[in-house]
Amino acid sequence: MRLPPQPDELLDRSHEVVFFFRGEPVRAFAGDTIGSALFASGRRVFSRSFKYHRPRGLVCCSGGCPNCMLTVDGTPNVRSCVEPVRDGAVVEPQNVLGSLDRDLLSVVDKVGRPFTPVGFYYRTMIRPRRLWPLYEKVLRNVAGLGRIDKHRGRTTRYDAEHRRVDVLVIGGGRSGLKAARAAAGRGESVLLVDENARRFGAEPFEIVAPGRALGIYEGGLVPIDAGRLLLRVRAGRIVVATGAVEQPLVFPGNDLVGVMLPDGARRLIRDFAVKPGERAVVLAADDRALAVVEDLARAGVETVASIDLREHDPSEISAEGRRGRLHAVSIEGVPHECDLLLAAGAPQPAYSLLAQAGARISYDADRGIFVPSELPEGVEAVGRVAGDLGRLRPTRACHGDGGFVCLCEDVAVKDLERALAEGFDSIELAKRYTTVTMGPCQGRMCHLPSIRIYAHAQGTDEAAIGTTTARPPWAPVKLGLLAGRTHEPAKLTAIHHRHEELGADIIWTGAWRRPHSYGDAPAEAKNVHDAVGVIDVSTLGKLLVAGPDAVEFLERLYPNRYADLKPGRVRYGVLSTDAGRIMDDGTVARLDDERFYVTTTSTGADSVLGWFEWWNAVWQLDVEIVNLTGALAALNVAGPQARELLAGLTATDLAAGGFKYLDAKEGRVAGVPCLMLRIGFVGELGYELHFASPYGEYLWDVLLERAAKPFGLEAQRILRLEKQHIIVGQDTDSESNVLDANMTWIAKLDKDDFVGKWAIEHAQERGPRELLVGFVMANGTVPAEGGQVVRDGRPSGRVTSARWSERVGKAIGLAWLPPDLAEEDATFEIRVNGRLEQARVRLRPFFDPAGERLKS
Amino acid sequence: MTELAFLSPGAARADDGLTPRQASPLARALAGSSGIRDLSLLGKIELRGEDPPALVDAIRITPDRALLLCEPERCAELLETLPGFAVDMTGALAGIELQDEALMRRLTDLDLSRLPAVGKVAGVPAIVAPRYRIFFAQEVGHSVVETVRDLQQGLA
Repeated sequence: MRLPPQPDELLDRSHEVVFFFRGEPVRAFAGDTIGSALFASGRRVFSRSFKYHRPRGLVCCSGGCPNCMLTVDGTPNVRSCVEPVRDGAVVEPQNVLGSLDRDLLSVVDKVGRPFTPVGFYYRTMIRPRRLWPLYEKVLRNVAGLGRIDKHRGRTTRYDAEHRRVDVLVIGGGRSGLKAARAAAGRGESVLLVDENARRFGAEPFEIVAPGRALGIYEGGLVPIDAGRLLLRVRAGRIVVATGAVEQPLVFPGNDLVGVMLPDGARRLIRDFAVKPGERAVVLAADDRALAVVEDLARAGVETVASIDLREHDPSEISAEGRRGRLHAVSIEGVPHECDLLLAAGAPQPAYSLLAQAGARISYDADRGIFVPSELPEGVEAVGRVAGDLGRLRPTRACHGDGGFVCLCEDVAVKDLERALAEGFDSIELAKRYTTVTMGPCQGRMCHLPSIRIYAHAQGTDEAAIGTTTARPPWAPVKLGLLAGRTHEPAKLTAIHHRHEELGADIIWTGAWRRPHSYGDAPAEAKNVHDAVGVIDVSTLGKLLVAGPDAVEFLERLYPNRYADLKPGRVRYGVLSTDAGRIMDDGTVARLDDERFYVTTTSTGADSVLGWFEWWNAVWQLDVEIVNLTGALAALNVAGPQARELLAGLTATDLAAGGFKYLDAKEGRVAGVPCLMLRIGFVGELGYELHFASPYGEYLWDVLLERAAKPFGLEAQRILRLEKQHIIVGQDTDSESNVLDANMTWIAKLDKDDFVGKWAIEHAQERGPRELLVGFVMANGTVPAEGGQVVRDGRPSGRVTSARWSERVGKAIGLAWLPPDLAEEDATFEIRVNGRLEQARVRLRPFFDPAGERLKS
Repeated sequence: MTELAFLSPGAARADDGLTPRQASPLARALAGSSGIRDLSLLGKIELRGEDPPALVDAIRITPDRALLLCEPERCAELLETLPGFAVDMTGALAGIELQDEALMRRLTDLDLSRLPAVGKVAGVPAIVAPRYRIFFAQEVGHSVVETVRDLQQGLA
């Protein structure tokens, strides 16, 4: 079936490749595409159409149309005419029941067509509504493209690579190569991308082929689909040399197997040495297409008729077929027996990328094509895409009554006319209603014909109809390639691997991975009450606020006072928004006159840093803000034996009188310089050690060797709840203010000003709408967090935190209640598993209410 | 004035039979890798101010912030002698050095012909110094290394 070697063929005849089509081996040469090899093996039907299952064969041989799509090695919708052959590749047809030559679903074409006009599924299958899922399932089974193997994608590797070049040339035809060589000659870095795996000679620049430019985005960003690699190219200059696309003619029978574009036949002959047919009729509207007659002659194909449409545009063309294959064509009543019809109107510049980049697209009525103009800066068009196409003349919209406009979605002339009759009179609406131009060819084959038919039917011209918006991607692309391999990075503390080694149950808290418990949270909490525990609190946000205006800065940011905070002392702080809502909380330690060490919640660190920097930009104070979150590891050593434990590791005076509750000191612990903060979120005597993160594991190990036992987040939650210490974001939400959260003492309304002061004053005047208070359950059941507070049978509040406390011997929690209910010993009900359970208000901490242990 | 010694890994001393031991945050992630040098324990000082001294290895982060790389032992001396506002950020930033330009192109969209530069590498904010020395928050360091090693496989 092969022709003798052709001068420019892409084949390496010394190298045979064998792949499998429906299990049968197909012999090919290296350089073949799956499509060319199948054609050479005698196959003519390559696919069955989207809706009507009509047999379809090769048309363009350049990856532009949908007709050659096959499933290759499990990947559906592969354009076989440009897919290089590979040894052992498994190729299967798609969207068929039976075989390509005898597809049982082609019954849709024979008996179903009257019932399935354009948009039928918007009208005829909408009632009864509950049956739509069934209709949809049936429709999806009988129409469409290939099927995705849902498991395969996970084993396929896709990567993305960023490239920067002076010049990107899109299209490796004559003009593209010329532009690339010229740029390379000037010493510019050049990347050339071409859709086809054609053979390029040695060139002084890099070539990516096959590769498809998917679009032109802002800043000259061009994503290129290079198979399993997405190249994100940023180019100083983009040269678009995408050429022109031959436009199919519209006439009855124009989708028969054997009706091709002249360029398609030429590629089969020149590139793959395959004879496209025996007897050919040629209808074309430009010199290049008409010259295919010479190729046909060389290949031994008899040309029975050749018509230059510029000289004579026949009013009627009609192709007849037998079993879907072309048998004869009748031109204005004159029959010609043939098995190959090469038909094309004027080639249309492939301007999509230029239009995306912002070029103006206007209709050239003399030549019958849309041409780009007013190119944006940094974008050039060269060669055929720029309209350099020789002598052209517009051809008729339709040559006869009927035919297909869109091969991808089986949209016929009748469908467009029907859409128009239904009132979809703009081309953009027609596109959405009929899906013309929305198939895999992205309008390459149907854009111009559909505009022409619309113009013809409405008695206007193409310029008045205009084009539809060009959007990326210009060619279909796999989602895997766009998704790439990026993932959200998790944050790990310097001590994380120790937690894993201890078998901790690790959970997500924001972006951080943290130990929930080391197996037995109640025992971990008990150990903090009875002995000494240690928890990794490296996740706390940590900021250094330094400078002559540091005091002023904090005074303006926080509702409470910092001017009177003495060096070496720590104070709790709550940040409020302009609207007086609680934003974050933490501690502020004064290191010296001008330096403060601020901690934030673990999840609030980034927003607090942003908040500080934003206000600093507004106020322009002389203050530096340094994010130390990752620089420092932090451990909270807590429990009645904490002092004794640390005393063996530091020379710092830890005596109750020398290192008081809410003191901050710098000193070495086990040789590592630490900032020690005596604070007590968990309610027992405790020291928070902040130190350089590279020593995280070392100091953790030392403390564990000295009998401290680790505790996790769950134990911490129990312990802090026993003290009614709130967690911002859990016990408060974006509506909560400091007054309602029962922290009236924190808002110093006599201060000149602070962020949110006006709103807090306003809230004070209005009085609280609800209050956050503690409660104990009467019978020991633990309500769900978020559980409903019920009063007189009506919902009137919610539980934010609840735990069983072994130490208190009760189920305890925090809840938002109506203000009049927020009184010691007041009773109310909480819905637990559908039943109402009694609860009683507790305004003071459940454990050590006077803080004697904390301050001991 | 406090010396903020708790920020400086170099300020640790053996004490009462205990010898502080530093660990790179990337130690485990890098085990068995090749082509990736760990720079995490290199000395790093952040300088503030619009006119930082003209130092050879100072990398501009923003118009008024710069990162100074130094031998770990030199940190203390530099912190003392540098004019202006300087903070020891040794523990804050992990770092790696790569050789492979193709690998860099898969990690970042930064212009590699114009280093140093600041931008995203492996999905995290990073500072890239010449010779493909990359610095990023230590808490996401393992994620960066995982991504680098994964991309190395893709290139192999």
